Order: sequence, then structure tokens, then C-alpha cells
Amino acid sequence: MVTYRRDVDEVFKALADPTRRELLDALFAQDGQTLTALEERVPMTRFGVMKHLKVLEEAGLVVSRKRGREKLHFLNPVPIRLIHDRWVSKYAEPWASALTELKTQLEDTP
Amino acid sequence: MTTNVTTVSFAQGTAPVGDTAVFEIFIKTTPERLWEAITDPAMRAKYSFGVETRSDWTTGSSYHARVPGGIDIAQGENLVVEPPRLLVQSFTALWSDDVKAQGTTRVTWEIEPVGDSCRLTVVHDQLPEEANAELYGGWPMILSGLKTLLETGQLLTTPGSLMHAQG
Repeated sequence: MVTYRRDVDEVFKALADPTRRELLDALFAQDGQTLTALEERVPMTRFGVMKHLKVLEEAGLVVSRKRGREKLHFLNPVPIRLIHDRWVSKYAEPWASALTELKTQLEDTP
Repeated sequence: MTTNVTTVSFAQGTAPVGDTAVFEIFIKTTPERLWEAITDPAMRAKYSFGVETRSDWTTGSSYHARVPGGIDIAQGENLVVEPPRLLVQSFTALWSDDVKAQGTTRVTWEIEPVGDSCRLTVVHDQLPEEANAELYGGWPMILSGLKTLLETGQLLTTPGSLMHAQG
């Protein structure tokens, strides 16, 4: 059954796994990929990738759409924006953005 | 960790894409109220950085989005208008020379009732190669604001959305 009341718990759970974050990064680098293409990005069986994609889809972080005979997977950044608006901006945004910038600057400086 | 991982910015919704970006959100409301929030200029402005979108919302009509007394934001044609379920628009961004140079893209709004809520999917496609993320990067903040408005009647008051709010 398709779940429609996306719980913030599901988003945090989906993000709490390195393989699933890797899949999101793969879609960030190239959006709209097939299962077969994603399989090549992670060292995992087709079944394993399918299982992780299902968790990501249930959390709303990945949205799949049919194009012709292909099923393409897209990164949906909206749930992360909702978490940001609910949590990050409330507690940490001014400090977090300053510190993130500092981290990026220091790490990018040769 | 490679440094390019630190530049990944989901929070800003700026994922680089192929030619298509997809944004999905669930909002506890009716299709009719959601349609109104998309097509009514005053409601739309409340969650769109103050931008008013005006049109007569018939198939083949044009629309124009602008900040009142300010700059032009976008214009295009309403290619398909089927209230309260489907709106397909051509989209030409106007807010800077950079985005103008990206040419005409397409925005599809799909509304599907699910239980006591609606699934709203915004598909921004026909994007040029290496599209400027500014073209579609604002959708997550806009949709988050739309959800807050319809579910609570309130405006989002995060620093990011206040930054763009009209004084």
C-alpha cells in the first residue's frame, strides 16, 4: 500500500543509512536514473538497490516516474526542505551557515 | 570524504539534473483549495517570495509573474488547464540576464487527492543542459511555504523565507 502521510521519522530513518545517502548523491549528480544505472553506482545487488530505493520512495526522498518503458528515479529535495524549515532554521541556521562556509573555505584551501 | 560531497546542497534544492527536476509534496487540503492557492495572485504571492502570478487561466492563455512595483519574474503560456487537477505551463524566467539566456522550459503541476490530503507534483522539465540551478532551485522553499499556508494559515517565518518577504 502506498503511504501518503509521510512521517518525518521515515525521512530521518531513510537518511540514516550510508548506502541510501550514496544513492541520493548518485541522483544528485545525475537525476532521473533507471534501476540498472543506479546499480552500477553502488557495490550492491539489484535486489539490495531495489530495497533501499523503496525506503527512499516511502520517505518521499525519491520519486519515480515512467518515461516510455523506463522507470526513472528522481531526487525529491522537498522533504529535506521541510525538515530544514521545521528544525534547522529554528535552531541553527545563522550559525550553521556561517560554520558550513568556514568548513568549506578551510577544506578547499590548498 | 571528498570535498565535492560538502558542496551538495539538498537544503537549497539545487540538485543538478538531466533535463527534468521533480518536486513532490503532500498537503492536507482539497484539490480545489490547492488549485486556488496556485492560481490566485494574492495567495500565490504569500509563499512565492512576494511574486504575483496573473492570468485568466484558460488553455492557451498567457501568464505573467512579477513582484508588484518591482521586477519581472517569469512569463509563459498555459498549455493545459484542467482545474483542479492539471496545469501545464511554458516557463521563461526573466529575473536576470543569466536565467533569460536559459530559454523556455516547462512546468507541470499535478494534483492528486490521496485520503484527506493531496499529492502535489511539480515537474520542471525541458531544462537546458547544465541548467542554471536558480531556474528550479526555489521550488522546495515555495512548496514548503505553500504547505504551511494551506495547513496552518500561517506564513513560513524561517530566515530564508523572510529574506524574500515583501516589507
